[in-house]
Amino acid sequence: MARLASLVIFIAAWHIASDLAGEQLLPAPITVASTIVAEARSGVLFFNLAVTLTRVFIAFALAMAAGTAIGLLMGRVMLADRLGDPWLIVLLNLPALVIIILAYVWAGLTEVAAILAVTVNKLPNTVVAIREGARALDRGLDEMAQVFALPRWKILRHVVLPQLAPYLATAARSGLSLIWKIVLVVELLGRPNGVGFEIGIAFQLFDVTRILAYAMAFVAVILAIDILLVQPLERRASRWRPRTA
Amino acid sequence: MSDARPAGDPGRLEVRILRKAFVAASGERAEVLRDMTFGLDRGLIGVLVGPSGCGKTTTLRIIAGLDADYQGTVVRPAVGRLGVVFQEPRLLPWRTVEDNVRLVAPGADPAKLATLFDVLELTHHRSHYPGELSLGLARRVALARALAVSPDILLLDEPFVSLDEALAARLRDELVTLVDNRTLTTLIVTHNVDEAVRLADRVFLLSARPARIVVEVPIPIPRAARTAGDIASIKAELARQLGAATGMPSTITSNVQRW
Repeated sequence: MARLASLVIFIAAWHIASDLAGEQLLPAPITVASTIVAEARSGVLFFNLAVTLTRVFIAFALAMAAGTAIGLLMGRVMLADRLGDPWLIVLLNLPALVIIILAYVWAGLTEVAAILAVTVNKLPNTVVAIREGARALDRGLDEMAQVFALPRWKILRHVVLPQLAPYLATAARSGLSLIWKIVLVVELLGRPNGVGFEIGIAFQLFDVTRILAYAMAFVAVILAIDILLVQPLERRASRWRPRTA
Repeated sequence: MSDARPAGDPGRLEVRILRKAFVAASGERAEVLRDMTFGLDRGLIGVLVGPSGCGKTTTLRIIAGLDADYQGTVVRPAVGRLGVVFQEPRLLPWRTVEDNVRLVAPGADPAKLATLFDVLELTHHRSHYPGELSLGLARRVALARALAVSPDILLLDEPFVSLDEALAARLRDELVTLVDNRTLTTLIVTHNVDEAVRLADRVFLLSARPARIVVEVPIPIPRAARTAGDIASIKAELARQLGAATGMPSTITSNVQRW
């Protein structure tokens, strides 16, 4: 209910702001909505959304998998942490744009370069989050697993990953939002399709309606993913926690 | 320098720890164990008793293979499965009681597990999560887990501490029932002399740091047949022997009861 109210207030504020600023700078919500419908009818919207989403998911999966592995290693092995830490700081502070341009220069304007650039941008955040989680792993449970001689994969699945779940959820949440922002830049700079490419064209034509239409459509998709996928997964992962009143 | 080789009697536990020291955060070396030597035959319950902080848990951790940084040898049964009950239950909070037990004993016979849950009165809690259990129940789950692997050696670190006496007594009885039905070597660490005398086939009294065994007393009377009088006289005997070994008058060593 509160969420709905906040949505209504947002649209009302947008409408008023659009009246004040003029259609040219800020088109009214209804104008944007009708553009979304028109783009959807022609199929262009869905094609571009699908292309962008595919890139988001591939980069997301790669960054989460590699980041979790590296983060665990750095959190558990002192030497790995010492060796990896400077790299991590460099990657964390390297601007996304630099990574993207270098990837395109070195690997050409290809799909691989695009996805790699996005993955490398997200990787250090995942590593930092998971490393924090790995440092906080319960030593008592480690010892328990050791004396009962649990095989490695069982330790990972039943002892380690459940402890990392909150850290993985944080990394996934911030990861999804970060990645889709970077994917748009990558598409703008070197891809012939996707939401970022469309927004680039709209920018050249000063078509604010189109920019907003694509942005809104994509935000809706990400919101749906969060509600339909991320939140149920989180609930499932924390079902063992005693309910608080 | 640790070293584990097969023993002569495959079921016997043989502990010979020459030295074990910790380096404190301040850089100071503290010697915890020196010449800690004892053995325990297969099928017996041995109880290590000593004042808190004397190194009992350290000894147990070395025997469990969790600490390899010591001088000496520990010989565990050659193909012995190990069951450990830690001082804290150390259950996985995100797995149910049943899953916690099954995880370490995937090949366990369901009928045997059911009996185990039944004896420990856990049958109704199988699908509960550890966060929903009292400490007494969580301890029982930890005990069930250690026994579910059909261990040849069972190590228990203060398994009944911070439970009320009535509950502790019940759990002790349950433990004895379960252990006496199997051939396994059990080593219990406690600071409670009364508990030791009720449970043990052999009692080992530890000195203060650096700890070693000062008195070793076998108790031939079967556990079930020990009367209150037997227990009192065994305790008196322990105090007398401790006095003889350390040169302290028995008025002080009778404090052993309050360790």
